[in-house]
Amino acid sequence: MAYNHHPSYSDNPLWSDITPIPLDEGPGPGPALASIAYSPRYSTAMSYLRAVMASNEYSERALSLTGDVISMNPAHYTVWLYRAKIIREMGKEIHEELAWLEGVSRKSLKNYQIWHHRQTLMSSLPSPPATEAEFLTKILSLDSKNYHVWTYRQWLVSHFNLFDSPTELAAVETLLREDVRNNSAWNHRWFLCFGKDELESGQRAKGGGGVVVVVDEDLVDREVAFAQDKILLAPQNQSPWNYLRGLYRKAGRSLADLRSFAEQFAATQGGHDDDDDDDDDNDDEHEAAPVEREREREQELDLEEGVRSSHALDLLADIYAAIGEREKARKVLEVLGRRWDPVRKGYWDYKAGLLLDDEDEDEEKKEEEEKGIKAVPEGGQGVAVA
Amino acid sequence: MAEVIPSIFSIPLHFTRPPSVHDELTTQTSVAQQDTIAECLPFLTSAEDASQSPFDFNEHGVPRLDRQGHIDFLHGSLREFPAAFVAVDASRPWMVYWALMGLYLLGEDVTCYRERVIKTFAPMQNASGGFGGGHGQYSHLAGTYAVVLSLALVGGERAYSLIDRENMWKWLGRLKKANGGFEVCEGGEVDVRGAYCAMVIIVLLNLPFELPSPIHTKVGTLSTFQQGLEDYLAKCQTLEGGISGGPGNEAHGAYAFCAIACLCLMNEPQIALRSLDLPSLLSWLSSRQYAPEGGFAGRTNKLVDGCYSHWVGGCWPLIEGFLYGPRTALNRPTDRMLRSLYSNEGLTRYILSCCQARTGGLRDKPSKSADSYHTCYTLAGLSSVQHVHFYVHQDASISSSTHPFRWRSLPLCDLVSSSAAGVYDKQDTLQPLHPLFVIPHDAAQRLRNWSEGQSTGWTVIDQT
Repeated sequence: MAYNHHPSYSDNPLWSDITPIPLDEGPGPGPALASIAYSPRYSTAMSYLRAVMASNEYSERALSLTGDVISMNPAHYTVWLYRAKIIREMGKEIHEELAWLEGVSRKSLKNYQIWHHRQTLMSSLPSPPATEAEFLTKILSLDSKNYHVWTYRQWLVSHFNLFDSPTELAAVETLLREDVRNNSAWNHRWFLCFGKDELESGQRAKGGGGVVVVVDEDLVDREVAFAQDKILLAPQNQSPWNYLRGLYRKAGRSLADLRSFAEQFAATQGGHDDDDDDDDDNDDEHEAAPVEREREREQELDLEEGVRSSHALDLLADIYAAIGEREKARKVLEVLGRRWDPVRKGYWDYKAGLLLDDEDEDEEKKEEEEKGIKAVPEGGQGVAVA
Repeated sequence: MAEVIPSIFSIPLHFTRPPSVHDELTTQTSVAQQDTIAECLPFLTSAEDASQSPFDFNEHGVPRLDRQGHIDFLHGSLREFPAAFVAVDASRPWMVYWALMGLYLLGEDVTCYRERVIKTFAPMQNASGGFGGGHGQYSHLAGTYAVVLSLALVGGERAYSLIDRENMWKWLGRLKKANGGFEVCEGGEVDVRGAYCAMVIIVLLNLPFELPSPIHTKVGTLSTFQQGLEDYLAKCQTLEGGISGGPGNEAHGAYAFCAIACLCLMNEPQIALRSLDLPSLLSWLSSRQYAPEGGFAGRTNKLVDGCYSHWVGGCWPLIEGFLYGPRTALNRPTDRMLRSLYSNEGLTRYILSCCQARTGGLRDKPSKSADSYHTCYTLAGLSSVQHVHFYVHQDASISSSTHPFRWRSLPLCDLVSSSAAGVYDKQDTLQPLHPLFVIPHDAAQRLRNWSEGQSTGWTVIDQT
């Protein structure tokens, strides 16, 4: 249409019935704060927009006007919402609107009105267009951690139930192959594996708190193996460590199972290859000598020079605390604060303080037991058995 | 560790060189991270650069706060912008709030802006309740939050009475969703930001907790703004322990602050965070701080950015309030409360060394330009490291009985020796801010007091 490209409103017969509403900069003296010296073109378009919005006009010319304003200021949320209303009220063809939107999206990636508008449009379709995954891949190749794009993608997956879609999982794998540190892709992977249950039942990622969470153990095994493989590629990458811990928390597994995996990143170089064998041997041969076994493990670790991942140490501190080896836990936290991650010393010290609290509790329990009082019923550490 | 840097300044080694653990594998993320370290190191160590004047730094090798430069920058950000700034046309309430808040933190009297604040916001209010980002724009929670906070900052009956509280309440009722959360505007997205802004507005304006009309859902009826909100926010805690914008999304520093502050607006700090898994939240929050940069990043494997000095930094006082419990009176905080869970020193170094622009104002990182958003939130972060925030039990000496108003703060340098307080100069201490409302304590209290004197006798309508 003629007014699409160089719209002129005031001398256009199409708009002659509209009385534009000029910008109100407020009553009283002095200039308004943080005002903008708008271009005449923007001011005029906005004054016509105010007028058609005030009369709730849903028309072809109003649609065109919103496109004009968006081309000058895509961050204007109101005009997007009004446009969505026009599309709905007029029963406009959604695919046509999507085609128009694609052009705008490429120009202003960081803008999140675009993604909310896309969501509004998609929610009126029975299924997403076949090209949607490809479109998202293209957009993510330009900005692979864009929060709004990922938020939109998670909405898309849940709205159309694409959790088990091979395309989605493949897209995540491609992104992680390109950059194993892309935490947004890791988060989406989790969402594909567990998001459906978490959204439906309200069970959160953490399990914990005594809640027994039913999970697909095979799926957890597959994901544990995936995360461990990726850790081996770059052990100081925190994303797969967080993912691994998340899996253990969700499935209610004992972190102690990860001991030898984590210890290999704090071992004397070259020594870690034999780790697993040693563990097996230990179980068979040194049953009667826990102290000696302890010393052997100790010798494998080199906390001063052999550390290849501070995240492995963080996990080891939790493992040692969980299995009651508080002295080792303390040592690991101390070296984290001094040598490997000193900017977080306050946190490492706090965690070491929690070990002391645990000790005090144990101490009290022992005293009370000696006095013949049982402080806590067996298995009663707040674990609710469902 | 026995390396000696020939310098009169004492800068801990971990703020002067890349981290000790490093992976060989190169990806887009690691390249961006290396570049950022390379960009920040010269600023972090510039006290040791022989071409710099040693008088520009304190004994810790930290540059002084360019107070006047930042004040001038923020006053400038309230003047007229050229046409090219049209992108902020829907964010003018934010522009006003960031400038006024920054100016207050820097010690300026902002009440001189009162009349112009009223003038600017009057046309932005909609008859159906709430404020839009500008005249003729739909009401939006973010804009309304910025408007209410700005009016509180300039204070006074005339400013407060601009707000149509009854229609604000009705509008908020239309934004509440069956899942417990809030839409940011009618037809807009539902996210944690919306929930935080709504609770701030409700508490400051003393709006009724009852919804103007109840929401009937599959699992029951919601009759208050708070119902379902705690569960909704808990669902936003992710596999990493951090908090996302909505269930299923990635953990993010700004959303973490909004969620934690929202929970603390609903309940006293010792129970506010009961629905979250605290150990994993702490682990994630603590991981947001990197060295050598010293500042915070918003997400795992993302880059440091000055604005997270507030979004992430602002979570810590609230968490500490939860961990250490309330104080019985306005007495001195315990030693434990003075030991921070994050590195005050790192954050101070990042803000003062890397974020201050030569031309005034503060920025994301050295390669970025200053703007009022980053100026406000880096200064808020700096204020946070300079004060100890704590929560006090209800007490006769405290006028308001409402729990969000029982937060207090004291300047660290009044409690401990200045060397123990941090690596900034005492003269560079900023004003304290209320950790939930992000405005001065007394500005929040005054608006609340005024609101308590206003009507709340509006009718609840059940349309079923």
